[in-house]
Amino acid sequence: MKEVQEKENMRLSELKKSDCGVVIGFTALGEVRKRLIDMGLVRGSQFKVIRKAPLGDPIEIKLNGFLLSLRLEEASHILVNLDA
Amino acid sequence: MKELPVIEVLLAGNPNSGKTSLFNELVGANRKVGNFAGVTVEKVEGSVVYKNYLIRFVDLPGTYSLSAYSPEEMVARNYIIGHSADLIIQVLDSTNIERNLLFTTQLMELGKNFIIAFNIYDEMTRKGIKADITQLEKLLGTAVIPTSSRLKTGITELFDKIIEFYEKKLQLSKKFNYPEFIEERIIKLSGIINSDKELSESYSTYWLSVKLLEQDTEVYKLLKERTVWMKVFPYLTEINKEISNYYKEEADLILNENRLAFAKGAFKETVNLSNLKSRNFTDVLDYLLINRITGIPVFLFFMWATFQLVFQLGEYPVNWLQHAFDWLAEGISSSINNEMVKSVVADGIISGVGGVLAFLPNILLLFLALAIMEGTGYMARAAFVIDKVMHTFGLHGKSAISLITGLGCSIPAFMSTRTLKSQRDRLTTMFIIPFMSCGAKLPVYILIIGAFFPAKIAGTVLFAVYMTGILLALLSAKLLKTTLMRGESEPFVMELPPYRLPSPKSLLFQMWNKATMYLKKAATLILLASVLVWLASNFPKSHKIELFYNYEIQQVINNEHLTNQEKTSLIKSLSAKENSLQFQNSIIGRLGKLIEPVIKPLGFDWRIGISLITGFAAKELVVSSMATIYSIGDSDTENNLSLQQKLKNNYPLKTALSLLMFVLIYVPCVAATAMFHKEAGKIKYTAFYFFFTMTLAWLLSFLTYQLL
Repeated sequence: MKEVQEKENMRLSELKKSDCGVVIGFTALGEVRKRLIDMGLVRGSQFKVIRKAPLGDPIEIKLNGFLLSLRLEEASHILVNLDA
Repeated sequence: MKELPVIEVLLAGNPNSGKTSLFNELVGANRKVGNFAGVTVEKVEGSVVYKNYLIRFVDLPGTYSLSAYSPEEMVARNYIIGHSADLIIQVLDSTNIERNLLFTTQLMELGKNFIIAFNIYDEMTRKGIKADITQLEKLLGTAVIPTSSRLKTGITELFDKIIEFYEKKLQLSKKFNYPEFIEERIIKLSGIINSDKELSESYSTYWLSVKLLEQDTEVYKLLKERTVWMKVFPYLTEINKEISNYYKEEADLILNENRLAFAKGAFKETVNLSNLKSRNFTDVLDYLLINRITGIPVFLFFMWATFQLVFQLGEYPVNWLQHAFDWLAEGISSSINNEMVKSVVADGIISGVGGVLAFLPNILLLFLALAIMEGTGYMARAAFVIDKVMHTFGLHGKSAISLITGLGCSIPAFMSTRTLKSQRDRLTTMFIIPFMSCGAKLPVYILIIGAFFPAKIAGTVLFAVYMTGILLALLSAKLLKTTLMRGESEPFVMELPPYRLPSPKSLLFQMWNKATMYLKKAATLILLASVLVWLASNFPKSHKIELFYNYEIQQVINNEHLTNQEKTSLIKSLSAKENSLQFQNSIIGRLGKLIEPVIKPLGFDWRIGISLITGFAAKELVVSSMATIYSIGDSDTENNLSLQQKLKNNYPLKTALSLLMFVLIYVPCVAATAMFHKEAGKIKYTAFYFFFTMTLAWLLSFLTYQLL
């Protein structure tokens, strides 16, 4: 239980290129969250960080067979577990 | 002719699902372009006669869900839920089944009749993906028809299915169910809403209940106005609490997780990926085009190429058009005897129409370039690469493309802002486009810079002018976004679609759509404005001046001491003086003199004033107006000096700099302003745009002149 809580602090914006993970929750309400949900990013969604934009922001992830880009700001609202 | 029964069919689905290409295959050239009522979202519809039916297709904007944020998504959703179309076709990208099925589940819970065009089927097969269509039909409870716009397969099958639905009056019965815990609450909630007869007749109350649970703002607004809300609200609050207690999450997430679970289940059960080819074209191309090192240079190269295509290649047809219109004007004026009528027709109307059409080649080429970028999938990448820069100034990555287009001409740049989804982002971008120096300003810069700066540094000065403009644009964006246009901007959550080769047919149709839009929307306004400006610079004519110069010219002709050559040169100079005086006497001329007190603090006199006013008609006219005015010299020797030398003799350097600043910033030409007004849609925006550019131009020119 304790371990889970520690991991919960990990945000998508903190991951590096080629990291794989799974979504465990959101910290924001409102439009960003709605959009992410609409695109099929929900709890349990597996993803891989593909790259960062040349200037470091936004980032690109692969999920359910498609590519999604989002700003670090948006990504910081997504809580994730890193796959080993 | 006998009236055919009409069947209305909506095309809906995710963005990048090949919806528009399929629409083109369905309707061919029988299309109509316009705007959806009340918004600047393009509406494309087309009718086709098939087996004694008239089938009317409406191509809806692509959306990921039936929740709506942007005007485009709103339009699509309102059409789907409110419009009583006979059938909805969901265009489903078969190379991305799982996410596309998410949209299907929403159609299922809506309870409307729909069929699925299992699109881009050829690419799916090529990739080695196999799908069990029959099983998919069973799970979704509706027809699934494999289609490919490229191979033109599945088109007749779609038509036949539409007819079958209509003739047999088929009703879909398969429902999408949530888990018991949620389902029973939704049903009870919709039971409460059902007591409002008006609502239950025009909407699915089940769907309204789902949307209430999702906290959909529009549905909330709709329900709040009804008396039934008194009963709905307490129950809604109660079940919201129950659901979030039970699931430890908000209802909107739970609902979508269930939809996605269904989509995943259907996907797993029907799709076989064991033969999936591992080599992925998109991954390779992305690796080459948007990596850390190449990303920005490639972006700049594509922008440069677009610019070259639109303005360099566009120059040829623009020139041909201009020649054609000059020729036409000449031909017509030689056949009209009345001087007055001749002038109105040739200089007013024909040059006005010519002015409208002159932009057409650029617009066609720009939208070809944009359609190629959008169609291949690069557009989203361009926004991805440059977003950081734009976001620093409060803009969206896509704004960069409009701004760069503005360096050629503001008119297509204003039109290109349609790719921005948020109205705030779009208006902000439109307000700052004028600061991107358009092509017509270049001759003015060259004239002034050439007059006041040595050739060695002229290039540097010109570059500095352009840079000042870009900097001003970005800073103004920041200013606007932190003041008037403040508020949550569009979140940057964007799909990077797979790279695809757009079909030439679809590119041509999109180009044609934009051209029709331009001609429909702007043409009359631009034409009217051009004619008015022409009238103002030609009228009233002073009879006195005319008589005086006629007399003078007659004197020259009768003078026996002059050679023929001397006579020609004297007459030429006299009629130039006459033109200049007549121009000064015209409405615009008088206006220029009238505003002198206002522009004096900027270091300008009435001559510059007149030129700047004509610049409102078209920026390059600033140069020709100055030439006309300065054709009156104080002495004969000065008459022979070039315009640049005259300017240098008449004004100090700080006036030149102040003038450069003013031309850079002040309001774009009347044609661009007309386009702005049409695109922005409200008079208050146009008023602000005028006020903003004029005030900033005055202030910065004032500072330039006074501080130097």
